[in-house]
Parts: sequence; structure tokens; C-alpha cells
Amino acid sequence: MVRFKHRYLLCELVSDDPRCRLSLDDRVLSSLVRDTIARMHGTFGAAACSIGFAVRYLNAYTGIVLLRCRKEFYQLVWSALPFITYLENKGHRYPCFFNTLHVGGTIRTCQKFLIQYNRKQLLILLQNCTDEGEREAIQKSVTRSCLLEEEEESSEEAAETME
Amino acid sequence: MPAPAATYERVVYKNPSEYHYMKVCLEFQDCGVGLNAAQFKQLLISAVKDLFGEVDAALPLDILCYEEKTLSAILRICSSGLVKLWSSLTLLGSYKGKKCAFRVIQVSPFLLALSGNSRELVLD
Repeated sequence: MVRFKHRYLLCELVSDDPRCRLSLDDRVLSSLVRDTIARMHGTFGAAACSIGFAVRYLNAYTGIVLLRCRKEFYQLVWSALPFITYLENKGHRYPCFFNTLHVGGTIRTCQKFLIQYNRKQLLILLQNCTDEGEREAIQKSVTRSCLLEEEEESSEEAAETME
Repeated sequence: MPAPAATYERVVYKNPSEYHYMKVCLEFQDCGVGLNAAQFKQLLISAVKDLFGEVDAALPLDILCYEEKTLSAILRICSSGLVKLWSSLTLLGSYKGKKCAFRVIQVSPFLLALSGNSRELVLD
């Protein structure tokens, strides 16, 4: 029917400096993205994108960010993200860049994608880790996530057989 | 006797020209302000950059001819950027603190059409 449609951009903040992710704040990030859109797309872009713009989810440990924007102008926001080159906090500048992982129409689809992405990332971490203690901790997380995945699948099948 | 079948061929031109040409004139509120061609182009690009940002300020815009006395010029812009250029010329208000306005005299996808303007036709 008649409603405002949004696009949710799931991005990952990639940086060399480990302090960069910890200094991530939703107000800092929101103002940074708005300034970049104003620089790249002018007053028209800034006005068009800032109506429905919001930072919906922020994880300082993994650097995952979920941005919301209106469906008509999501390409302006998306195209301005590669031009963000540094994060400024309390006078410190950390060079970083944004990697867009997924564009979804709802938060639920982005969450489903994020769960699968995190599972794959755990397996990659398992391959790359060197320390024995870390290896055990990651293996435990991997088995826990596999059990959760089996539970989800069985509940979905049960729901289908009910119908 | 039935007529012989005729073969028809239909050719549709959506927009054969990839550039649009604009004849514009810059008017200042006070007299005595001069710009050379480079300053004129810089003014155009800064107008587009203000409204549409750096991405659209990089559109391929050319000044084909420029008259410093009357401050009029013929511009060439790719067709996808015509609306953006025209709207940013409309919203440009001042140059170095002095009030000015762009008057768009003619717009056409063909350069030849700019050679004659029926509005300036003088009937004897």
C-alpha cells in the first residue's frame, strides 16, 4: 500500500588501527556520512538523503554498521561511502574505509545475511589463527553456531510440514 | 486483385544527439564587472558543485565560444547533465559578492539551431 520504503545498507568498517573501531559512535558516524554525502552530491544530495537517514545498528567489536535510507536515494548514499577515508574522534584521525556487504529492503534480511556472514568469518578465523587457546575458543563458537543452525533448519521444516 | 505486400521500415530516433548546446548570458546587477573565459568556466563549475556535489561538477562541460564584452557564451553539456546544469545556473546568485543572474537564451540538441533565433528576428 502506501508507505515509505527504505533500503538498509550493511557495511563493515575496515581499518588497520584497532582503536578505530572502539571509537565508533553512532552520532560521529552519522555526521561523517552526512558530511561526505554533502561533499559528493552537494546540497541536493545532502537534503535528499538526510530525510530518512539513520544508523540502525552499530557493533564496535566487529565494526558492522547498518544504515537506513530512503529507497529513491539509496544509490546516492551507497556511492558516497567509498569516499570516507578517515574517522575523526577527539582530535585523532584514524584512516579506515567502508566495505558494503549487503543491501536489503528490511532489517530482517540484513540480519539473516549477517548471521551467515559471521559463520563464514568464524571459519576463516579458525584457519588463520595461530594461538592454541584462541583456536579452542573459535572452535567452540563454530560448534555452537552449527548447533543453532541445525535447530533453525529443523524448526523451519516443522513449520513447513504443519502447513 | 490484392495489392502486393509492401515492406515497411520504421526508424525511431529517441535522441540522436548525445550533447545539448545552451546559449547563455550572464547579467550583473552593477556594471563594470568583467570575467575572462577561465573565470567564467570556474563560475559554472562552482555553481554545479554547490548544488550537486563533486560527482556532478566533473561532468564534461565545454565552453564553445565566449564573448567577454556581452558576457555571453555557448556551452556544450552531455544530455544526461543538461537538467543539472540548467538548475544550478538558475540557482546561482552571486559571483565574488556581486549579485548576478544567468539568462538562458536558447537550448538545443543541435548546434546549428543556435545560429538563428526567431526571438531576435527584426522585421523591417
